[in-house]
Amino acid sequence: MAARVVITGVGLVTPLGLDPGEILRRIEARETAAVPPTGFDPSPFACRLCAPVPDFQPQRFVPEPKLLRLMNRDAQLAVAAARLAVADAGLVVERDYAPEAIGLFGATGLAGLSLGDVAPLLRASAGSDGRFDPERFGTAGLKAISPLLSFKVLSNMPICFVSICERLQGPNAIYSPWEGHGAQAIEAGWCAVRNGEARCALVGGCDAKTHELAFVSLEQRGLFESWKHERQGLIPGEGAAFLVLEPESAAAARGAKAYARLVAGRFGTVAQGEDRLGVCSRLLGALGRITPAAVVSAAEGEASSRHSEAEALRRAGLEVPASIEPKPQLGTLFAAAAAVQVGVAALLAGRRAAGERVLANCFGHGSGQAAFLLETP
Amino acid sequence: MNHRVVITGIGLCTPVGREVAAVWDNLLAGRSGIGPITLFAANSLPVRIGGEVKNFHADAVANAFPGVRDEPDRKVWLGLDAALQAIQDAGLDENGLGAAQVHVGVSLEYLAFEQVVSVLQAVRPGEALGARLLGGWDRGALQTPLDRLAELVGDRFGCAGGRFTNCSACAAGAQAIGEAFRRIRAGAVDRALAGATDSALNPLGLGGFSLLHILSTENDAPQTACRPFDASRQGTVLSEGAAFLVLESLDAARARAARVYAEVLGYGSSLDAYRVSDPEPTGRGAVLSMRRALADAGLSAEAVDCVNAHGTGTPKNDAVETLAIKTVLGQRARLIPVHSVKSMTGHMIATSGAFEAAVAALTLMDRNVPPTINLAHPDPHCDLDYVTEGCRAFAGETVLSNSFGFGGQNASLVLRRC
Repeated sequence: MAARVVITGVGLVTPLGLDPGEILRRIEARETAAVPPTGFDPSPFACRLCAPVPDFQPQRFVPEPKLLRLMNRDAQLAVAAARLAVADAGLVVERDYAPEAIGLFGATGLAGLSLGDVAPLLRASAGSDGRFDPERFGTAGLKAISPLLSFKVLSNMPICFVSICERLQGPNAIYSPWEGHGAQAIEAGWCAVRNGEARCALVGGCDAKTHELAFVSLEQRGLFESWKHERQGLIPGEGAAFLVLEPESAAAARGAKAYARLVAGRFGTVAQGEDRLGVCSRLLGALGRITPAAVVSAAEGEASSRHSEAEALRRAGLEVPASIEPKPQLGTLFAAAAAVQVGVAALLAGRRAAGERVLANCFGHGSGQAAFLLETP
Repeated sequence: MNHRVVITGIGLCTPVGREVAAVWDNLLAGRSGIGPITLFAANSLPVRIGGEVKNFHADAVANAFPGVRDEPDRKVWLGLDAALQAIQDAGLDENGLGAAQVHVGVSLEYLAFEQVVSVLQAVRPGEALGARLLGGWDRGALQTPLDRLAELVGDRFGCAGGRFTNCSACAAGAQAIGEAFRRIRAGAVDRALAGATDSALNPLGLGGFSLLHILSTENDAPQTACRPFDASRQGTVLSEGAAFLVLESLDAARARAARVYAEVLGYGSSLDAYRVSDPEPTGRGAVLSMRRALADAGLSAEAVDCVNAHGTGTPKNDAVETLAIKTVLGQRARLIPVHSVKSMTGHMIATSGAFEAAVAALTLMDRNVPPTINLAHPDPHCDLDYVTEGCRAFAGETVLSNSFGFGGQNASLVLRRC
């Protein structure tokens, strides 16, 4: 029989801090983490705000300088969030579960390569005409970068660093690059625990979109369009979130607190030319006739995004007494967003009465859309 | 109830050829696909050889996907080619894929590197770099997100069952197939297109990998540069390619009288949790991966008749993998063929696991094991039967296929004759 799965640890590294309770308070108070970018001139972009993690000190979480040097920003954020999740769950690897029994399912975003990482290579690879010169690339360019750059480019590395730092050896998968892929990671970990493939799993994601290359990519993909029409929209952020999933019986046996029980997950795919609203309302409708006590909204900053989600909920016949909107406050965290949404939902569930339900909407960019239903144990 | 899962279509676009028949002929004949790099001027790089897909004709792909004519990312083209082949090979079209899932393995995303160099040099003092980057070229985008292929294929064939992009490095292709297999087995979906694509044969990719000192620098002898399990092996050879499989429930395949290559019986994954660049020296992660796949298949070690090894030709991998195979299979390890097609194809990174799953299926269907070429001086630490004499007739029923990745991600698949 499939196990009932609960969330026993929430690790959040966000633009509103690292303390889950404080993050929730600040989201509810509608405090924003958005600031103008400091590393580049944002004037060419329709969006001129970003949401960085302030004063982040990765060495707190990765004491080995050698290992830290191999990590890009995404990886540093991921390792920190995973460590916080494990600590929050009171989980001691080896004592509670063997390392090979703990699964790891994560999502990462567009390569966490900033212009600063590759600028020396780029400049040294230019010929006298200012264009890329393959000869100079080999003779001068490669010498201008660290041999370890590849570890910052490969999209799986942030999650692999989590496995190394936490010594996790269980079943795994890494998806990329949008919020829907983060939801797939959560589902994969949930299934692994439910089916007994893993006795415990860390699920989550990381992303860092506060640098100039990310802004260029987002602008080119049209994700800043609403800033042109509504003067509001998504704010690229950075962060990571991990959740600890365990069978409810195993969590109880080791005396762990459970924030929430994962009771349902629904997924939809927005095909080319298809109406996102229709897909989201169908997947919400597939949850059945539920009345969540609260909804973690997927709305970004602009009014159209908010109206669209409200309409999807209405079409699905869901009444929403209370909702909370992390994205306008935290920024949009893409591959990390689903874990943030579900993590916030778990925090909300953790302070409600037994049996009450919280809906976490993971509606984002890319084709994959998802919603998770959590229940207070 | 668990559903049986079978492979009904294969599409290949590799350094040893395109399409199943040509690839299989070349593998059985022991023909290497490695040669000098021709895709760009690699003269000044320490590594100047690779496994390129030759004579790739984009027209058929562009006709099927008109929206990609300006696509700058080569791996997307290769992937579309292999995906189309697999769908056609399975005898499917849009009508058969509407509810299907798409699982794509990839490793590196595309960055318009050469254009960025020009843009960076052209920026004037005080000018915002972003403005230049936004308008710096007229073709494609700065970056291609990793889900580009899954979205193109999904949209073209209306795949509404979910689109997964797995970026687990060298294990991505095997994981993509394993994840699709699990979902079909569980009844979540009847059919999936699963595989991988990769092409790091560009200045940044080949240059970056060459800095890691895992690539053979035998530029003057490309066809013998990749020597898995040989005592003189220096490293692997970076290559490119794509491989896709159509997986479906046996019931769905029978309902449409589809040809079946093989059955997927089990999948396992693990993490080394050791170092990002080196395998754990006892083979702990590889052992876990193989054991999980066998347990998932409900088989004992005695049931394994052949191992399609990860076999990269790097000094560390081959010895550790050999040790791990012996740990898992015990005495059985010495009684069965263990082979590495990377000796001919080079390392297609994310694609390798998907390609090798296809090779395992063809091994079972055609009853032949492709050889490990270039193995002339056996490494005493690599002491299994690596099929060095040429292709070998095969009467077995089960193949175990391994994929072990950078960062310590491992995946194994078990396939059975059907």
